[in-house]
Amino acid sequence: MVVGTASRGCQVAVIGAGPGGYLAAIRLAQLGKDVLLIEDAKTLGGICLNEGCIPSKALIHATDLLEEASHANEMGLTFTGLNLDIKKLVGWKDRIVKQLTGGVAFLVTKNGGDILHGRAKFVTDRRLEVLTEEGPVLVEFEQAVIATGSRQVELPEFPFDGRWVIGSREALSPTSVPERLVIIGGGYIGLELGSVYRRLGSHVDLVEIADELVPFHDPEVRNIITQRMRHLGVTLHMGHRALRMERDKIARVIIAGKNGKESTLEADRILVSVGRTPLSGDMGLDAAGVRTDDRGFIRVNHRMETNVPGIYALGDVVGGPLLAHKAYREAKVAAEVIAGNPSAFDNVVIPAVVYTDPELAWAGMTETEAKAAGHRIVTGTFPFRASGRAMTLSAVDGFAKTIADADSHLILGVVIVGRDAGEMISEAALAIEMGAFLDDLAGTIHPHPTLSEGLLESVEAALGAAVHVLNAK
Amino acid sequence: MAVEFRLPDVGEGIHEAVLVKWRVKPGDTVKADEPFCDVETDKAVVELPSPVAGTVSKLNFAPGDVVHVGDAMIVFDADDDTVSKPARPASVSPESSPAPATRMTSQPSSAPASVPHSPPVQAAPDASAEPPARRPLATPHTRALARKLGVDLAAVAASGKGGRITDEDVRKTASRLLQDTAEALSAAAEPVPVIESMPLVTHEAGERLPETAERQSTDFGPVERIRISRLRQLIARNMRASKATLAHVTHVDEADVTDLDAMYRKVKQQVADMQNVKFTIMPFFVKSAVAALKKYPVLNASFDEDNQEMIIKHYYHVGFAADTPEGLVVPVIRDADRKDMIRIAQEIADKAERARERKITLDELQGAGFTITNVGPLGGLFATPVIPLPQLAILGMHAMKDRPVVRNGQIVIRKMMNLSISFDHRMIDGMTAAAFLHEVISLIESPEMLMLRLV
Repeated sequence: MVVGTASRGCQVAVIGAGPGGYLAAIRLAQLGKDVLLIEDAKTLGGICLNEGCIPSKALIHATDLLEEASHANEMGLTFTGLNLDIKKLVGWKDRIVKQLTGGVAFLVTKNGGDILHGRAKFVTDRRLEVLTEEGPVLVEFEQAVIATGSRQVELPEFPFDGRWVIGSREALSPTSVPERLVIIGGGYIGLELGSVYRRLGSHVDLVEIADELVPFHDPEVRNIITQRMRHLGVTLHMGHRALRMERDKIARVIIAGKNGKESTLEADRILVSVGRTPLSGDMGLDAAGVRTDDRGFIRVNHRMETNVPGIYALGDVVGGPLLAHKAYREAKVAAEVIAGNPSAFDNVVIPAVVYTDPELAWAGMTETEAKAAGHRIVTGTFPFRASGRAMTLSAVDGFAKTIADADSHLILGVVIVGRDAGEMISEAALAIEMGAFLDDLAGTIHPHPTLSEGLLESVEAALGAAVHVLNAK
Repeated sequence: MAVEFRLPDVGEGIHEAVLVKWRVKPGDTVKADEPFCDVETDKAVVELPSPVAGTVSKLNFAPGDVVHVGDAMIVFDADDDTVSKPARPASVSPESSPAPATRMTSQPSSAPASVPHSPPVQAAPDASAEPPARRPLATPHTRALARKLGVDLAAVAASGKGGRITDEDVRKTASRLLQDTAEALSAAAEPVPVIESMPLVTHEAGERLPETAERQSTDFGPVERIRISRLRQLIARNMRASKATLAHVTHVDEADVTDLDAMYRKVKQQVADMQNVKFTIMPFFVKSAVAALKKYPVLNASFDEDNQEMIIKHYYHVGFAADTPEGLVVPVIRDADRKDMIRIAQEIADKAERARERKITLDELQGAGFTITNVGPLGGLFATPVIPLPQLAILGMHAMKDRPVVRNGQIVIRKMMNLSISFDHRMIDGMTAAAFLHEVISLIESPEMLMLRLV
């Protein structure tokens, strides 16, 4: 041991205080474990709370409101003097983030967990060295949970500089609205932030290497999302690759299509959102003997155990869909396994939401996936255009679609595009997780008038018994 | 196709076994039911038979390794016609992130490998209408229950609507698996019938010392840590379970064994010469106890707490505690009421010997309704033995000594022995236990009376 190094012991060391890490720490503390939560950043909550899910949803809601207010003429509402104060908007968002991250720290400590700020590195499979502001601290543990998450991928031709080339973090704390924004990458971050900036007034170019947006979805989903982005005024460059940038007073992004033909997009800011990569390097995984795959994702089993007994991993750093709610569930499993309970990540579905306008949410299989899995399928679709509630909300775009096994009527998947789709998808997730059949959902009374009736109607349509739309012959 | 063999759960608290030797190596062809390895449990050394015909592709353990229940020991490449087709893997979570880089999914690497259906417990009754891709249909609640009970859902026959697996289905499968595998493993020579559906048993929590004990002991001086044997772990669990469950009470009385001792001495050598067996006084106690059990059947019983029912046994299987170098085991003399004392003496000698050599089978350690323990060799006045679950009583024999006693107003020297009856006071009243012990003593004190009571 290094002379002068502080040391301490704990039963469980949790590395990383994002959704997965902080939840694991809270649950472990609740289960009676002596927990130390180690976080490099100054605040807890990870990407999700500080520079991901929560801040983006704050900006999305504000710009939704702006959009609605500007299009309320039809209802006889006209707003004059509708102004955007970007500083105030970011300030509002920052207060929400502060409240939430403070809440996490409160929950961890009140449940009996300890927090240590610093960068953790494995020295052995039972010991960590944490570099804190006060110096290194050796932490001996019986079990460790790795929840270090992921970081955004950087493109070599477009290195992040915080000014011209930014990532989602900077995009969520703008000091000004760029006149021209080029977004490289049409994944959910690109789609969400593209919508936000377009509504804030930017001219938005979106460059996506694939030929379609949300390419793994069924055609009607791809179509509506693409149409809506176009309708919003986002210029889509599908099947294009961003090659390089040039810069003088403004930046220029040179892109090329499949045929190699180059074109130039002018930009005041470039947002790179081409995906995320696991944060598993530089933390001494070798010293602990923890194995990763060739992309750096830590390999775990359904009990969240790594190859090293006593060391667990979860969240983005283990791969799969990089979603906070997946990490939440994995954290509960890991904590329960560590506490000696029989627990496993055996979930059938991990629902997902993209906060475009309208929202896109899904649970389970798409039509294509269900067929590929060998199912003979039956589907039912209900357009929100036929929903009374959607009309009163002036939110008639979108639909609910249910995919079921044609023979057993087992519900396999649901996709909803529409206002509050993200709120509605949990019902579908529950149905699939419980092994529900079409008539289980059809036999459940849905309150009227709500958007959630749309899911009910899609199920009835799959049964050939829809009421508010004509059934397919 | 690849078929994994996982170490089955045989119940009886056995969670692990030591691999003694492989009988095969990778590349060998095996027939179905052909033994492929020897493992040693707490109780016995047994051969494990191959679940399939095919080729050995991988051995996951080396001789001497400890294998836990549920561990995949060996992988076979099965000839296709010997295994029924496995269920397709459950539909996996959606690929839900549109951004290309985030779609780099790495599914959990050691998620359970494809587990073929086992013929005896085939899934879904409507198998003919089985759609091509079907996960076992169970709610998260039922799935958690299955995990707790170590049941593979793919091996559960579903009774619910549309092939939905209910809690009850899971419980039924759990108890059947336990029975099947226990029987299979105890009958060492017979093939294990249920292979593919072996439960993945998760280990019990809370088996470790409180942390304070671990840490503090090292504070006071040098210590040594000795890994306890599997038998010792089993004893620990059983002892604690008994003490935690039953309301132990011990009643002690004394018996004048002068006449019994005299008779025993008279026949001991004769029996030894004739039957080549070491005759002890134990059979007299077994017979006396059986006679008393017939009069007080509540001492030959178990308690079904879930159903609030007493289970009175109409058989007289008597366990006897036998010391072995590894620890205490309790072999059983079955139907002690229908065997003569010489036969009982033979069985005791034989089973005690085999228990010491650890060649006794699981079967021979099961089924007792009542137990006798001879604490006499330890000296002392009396002890309070622990009742082996699920029994409700144990008879303790204590040291035989010459003691001064009063007979007809005179102090005389007699051979005396203390006897104890430890009983579960939840089910057995003190009066009953005392009356039982009194009955045993009256027969022991007067071997003639015992003779009259023999069937």
